[in-house]
This record gives sequence, structure tokens and C-alpha cells, in this order.
Amino acid sequence: MSRILVYCGFHHAPELALPELGVNAAPVQVASFDNLSLLWSEVEWPFGPERMQKSAVEFHEVVHRVFRQTAVIPFRLLSVFEHQQAFAAFAAENRERFLKDLERLKDVVQMECVIYPAPSKSQVDRSSGKAYLQQKAVALRSSEGFAQAVQDALVDLSREVRVREGKNGTRIFALMERGRENDFRRTVNTVPVPSHLSRRMSGPWPVAEFLSEQVKMPQTDEATGAK
Amino acid sequence: MPNDFETLETLGREDEVSLLEILDHVLNSGVVIHGSLVISLAGVDLVYLGLNVVLTSVETALNNLQIEEKRRQK
Repeated sequence: MSRILVYCGFHHAPELALPELGVNAAPVQVASFDNLSLLWSEVEWPFGPERMQKSAVEFHEVVHRVFRQTAVIPFRLLSVFEHQQAFAAFAAENRERFLKDLERLKDVVQMECVIYPAPSKSQVDRSSGKAYLQQKAVALRSSEGFAQAVQDALVDLSREVRVREGKNGTRIFALMERGRENDFRRTVNTVPVPSHLSRRMSGPWPVAEFLSEQVKMPQTDEATGAK
Repeated sequence: MPNDFETLETLGREDEVSLLEILDHVLNSGVVIHGSLVISLAGVDLVYLGLNVVLTSVETALNNLQIEEKRRQK
């Protein structure tokens, strides 16, 4: 059973060098809808569990090949269309929204900083329930303070900063002008890291966190066969 | 001079970190086409299984990172 796997959308431009092979060595094809181009492959579906990590890396490489050259709107790996008509209907329905976001985000990239408890210094105080809760409260306050300090440091540098709490720590997203990624790293490095916390920086990434809600979860007609 | 777009691969702390970040982004960031989760959960066991395997691998990678960091600090 095959499906249409979409990698990303971007402004059509003839000078862009596009990848030829995608997930599981499937040929990467370009679908153009006026100024919007979408990269896609026909893939065997569903992916076997034993190949998921490799598929994820291959998917990432396709998206980043384009992202190195221009702004992209990335799709998620496990979203597929049942057939070409469904894909075309989706593109027609959402083209304007995609182009609007691409225009808004054309010169920026997403940089990230994740804050999490330092593994070696996270000994849990099990002497009593009260001690445990106090330790958790102190750690939480410290983490919040550090996250706020990072945000404050970035406020003049980035176009926008967003923070999301996750199971494994606090994730800070900064919308940076393309080419100023090192400014982000330098600035975050100026904020002292509390002894019991660690932080990890990554990027540049496509600006997935800053997409409009209508683009993140676009309208689809159930009859189009979007899966 | 390193290209900024190569820093994830070349300047990252560990390969596992890079893989972890990549998995997190391709699975959790970007456009979601409605219906994918419903279909994945309701009908296609392999996709659901695949997702579980990836999530397990992320947890494993995190654990390995913590173990490795403890080992280095000893």
C-alpha cells in the first residue's frame, strides 16, 4: 500500500537545489500550486517500526536541504495522504495560508534552548515527603528563574520568544533573523547556568513553533482522504 | 568556517542528542494533517506500534545521555 508523504512547503524558486531522494530512497517530487511548492514522495505505508529512526533522519535531511536555502513549512513525518487527489485538494484549500506564513517568516529561523535538571546533581531527597516536595519546589523556582533570565537576554535580539514546558524540561524557542544564529548562542551562553540545571541549544530549525494555528493544523476535507 | 546549518551535526554534544532532536522535530513539529492520529490509533496497528518504538527510543536515548554524563563526571 502506498501513500503520499509530504516533506515541506516553500516559495517556488528555480534556483533552489532540491533533494532527489527521500525516505527509504523514494524519489522526491515537486508539486507546484502557483507560488507554493510542496515536496513529496510516494512511500510504502505504514512504515515498519524497525525503520522509524532511519525514516525520521531521511525525512529531516530532505527538509533541511531546502531549509538551508530558503524558508520552509515542515510537515510531520507521520502525516500522509491517501492519493494524489487528496494531496491536490489539500494544497488548493490551504495554499493562501501557507504562502502568507512563508512571507511572514521568510527571513527567520528557529533557535532553541532546552533547560533540564543536571543528571548528576538531581539526587532525590527521599528523607521525607516534605523534604521531597521542598526540593521539587526549589528546583522548579530555579528553573523558572533561569528560563526567565534566558528570555530576558534574548528579548532585544529575537523577533519573538516562546516558552513551552515539557516532560523533560523547559523549551525556549527564539525567532531569529537568518544569519544571526551565533548571536543567539553567544547571548544564551552569557546567562549563568544554576548548578543543578543543564541547558542544551540547537538550531537553526524551520520555524515550526511560530507557524499560525491554521497552518499547523490546516483544514482538510475528510473526503480528500488525508490520513 | 562551519555553516550554521551544519552545527546540529558537527557541533552537537553527542550524536544521540542530534538524533533525539531530529526525532522530536520531525514527529512533534510542523503541519499536522487532520485524521492522521485517528487513523493511526484506530486502524493501523503498525503505525501506532512504530510511534511507540520511536518514543521508547527517545526515552532510551535520554537515559543513555544521563548515564554517560554521570560517567564523565566521576
